[in-house]
Amino acid sequence: MLEVKNLHKSFDKNEVLRGVDFKVEKGEVIAVLGSSGSGKTTLLRCISFLEKSDQGEIIFDDFRKEITKVTNKEIRGLRMKMGFVFQGYHLFRNKTALENVMIGQTVARKIPSTEAKATALQMLEKVGMLNRANYYPDQLSGGQQQRVAIARAMATNPEVILFDEPTSALDPELTGEVLDVMKKLAKEGTTMVVVTHEMGFAQEVANHVVYMEGGIVVEEGTSKEIFTNPKDERTRRFLRRTLSDYDYSI
Amino acid sequence: MSERVLQILIQAFPKILIPCIKVTIPLTICSFILGLILALFLAIVQIANIRGLKQFARFYIWIFRGTPLLVQLFIVFFGLPSLGIMLDAFPSAVIAFSLNLAAYNAEVIRSAILAVPAGQTEAALMVGLSYPQLMAKIVLPQAGRIAFPPLFNSLIGLTKDTSLASSITLIEMFSVAQQVAARYYEPFALYCEAAVIYLLICTLLTWLQATVEKKLTWVKPVETEEENAQNITD
Repeated sequence: MLEVKNLHKSFDKNEVLRGVDFKVEKGEVIAVLGSSGSGKTTLLRCISFLEKSDQGEIIFDDFRKEITKVTNKEIRGLRMKMGFVFQGYHLFRNKTALENVMIGQTVARKIPSTEAKATALQMLEKVGMLNRANYYPDQLSGGQQQRVAIARAMATNPEVILFDEPTSALDPELTGEVLDVMKKLAKEGTTMVVVTHEMGFAQEVANHVVYMEGGIVVEEGTSKEIFTNPKDERTRRFLRRTLSDYDYSI
Repeated sequence: MSERVLQILIQAFPKILIPCIKVTIPLTICSFILGLILALFLAIVQIANIRGLKQFARFYIWIFRGTPLLVQLFIVFFGLPSLGIMLDAFPSAVIAFSLNLAAYNAEVIRSAILAVPAGQTEAALMVGLSYPQLMAKIVLPQAGRIAFPPLFNSLIGLTKDTSLASSITLIEMFSVAQQVAARYYEPFALYCEAAVIYLLICTLLTWLQATVEKKLTWVKPVETEEENAQNITD
């Protein structure tokens, strides 16, 4: 459904992506793992054109083009089919939770407001934020804001939702409520790409795991393959390090 | 204070107040609104990085911030006629004030736009908004809130700066005060009277600023759970 091939991206002289191939199929939940600086966030940002890639090819359904040659109009068309959840939530601070969830429908897609509101309320209910529909972002906790942000990403009925470390800015107690919402979405068959440090989530919810290091995909496979039988030494080292951290915290 | 001075002050009050209402206030409002529109334009072309217009905006701001307001007034009123452009004092003043103000307010608005977190722009792009849409719905409303106090600052400054227009023959509040002062030879009392009227206007503006600012927050008023439920189902 969505695929990038041989993706390259440098910031000045720092090569962050060095030829990444990445593919998402409909209904998949993909966890992208890797330590800081491995390029996983940049990968998501290049796919969504928030960063300009240097080289590569993008395929989205029947759209196929050299990624550097995609026009602004085409970018907007591709974004219409994506949802994006940011590490820092980025709710619109001059809009209520409900308005945040509606605006992609009413303004960007010209859906009538009554219809958009019905959808938005349904989404807010799904993330457990219906009772805060008329609150402004400043009046919500981090976890609540992130749940609204997830509702906002879902409201436009995207083909895939990209999550960029959605729980990294949250307190441990608030992480759970966001992960629960994401688990629910995964169960409903939402196509998701999740860049995360939550090994538990990757292990439990993702059906496909991608491990990145040094700007390339080192290893990928089913969640079971990666966690029980990693082939590459680098993946093993990463899992040993992070999973032992994970054990300590219990 | 002698009886005579008091008498003069009382008589002079309406004489000074009428040009204040008829000239000073309209001059301030016209110049501020025109200046604000121009400032918004100058700020947006810089933020949107429109080639040519951005350089023009920097050049414009450089010129109008770098030269005295009084000199700009003189150039428009006394200077332009030699190029064949004759304007009355009032339009000349409006032009000079608004052009000058735009240079300063463009910087205020530009910094306010930059103060809106860039993440919200990215989020807006990702829900499918176009650049003009996200500017209109997300960035400018928040930038407006940030720019509001400094913009009000410049409005208050402008109110007093309009007195400079007396030097290009405009019959406004201060020039009338000058005439009255000269006639009765009571400069101290009459200039103080004019100052008090300026102060009153600015006091009113300060109060207005505080009142409006209080309303410009994005916080839901406290309501009961039932009201909340009601609002959702509306």
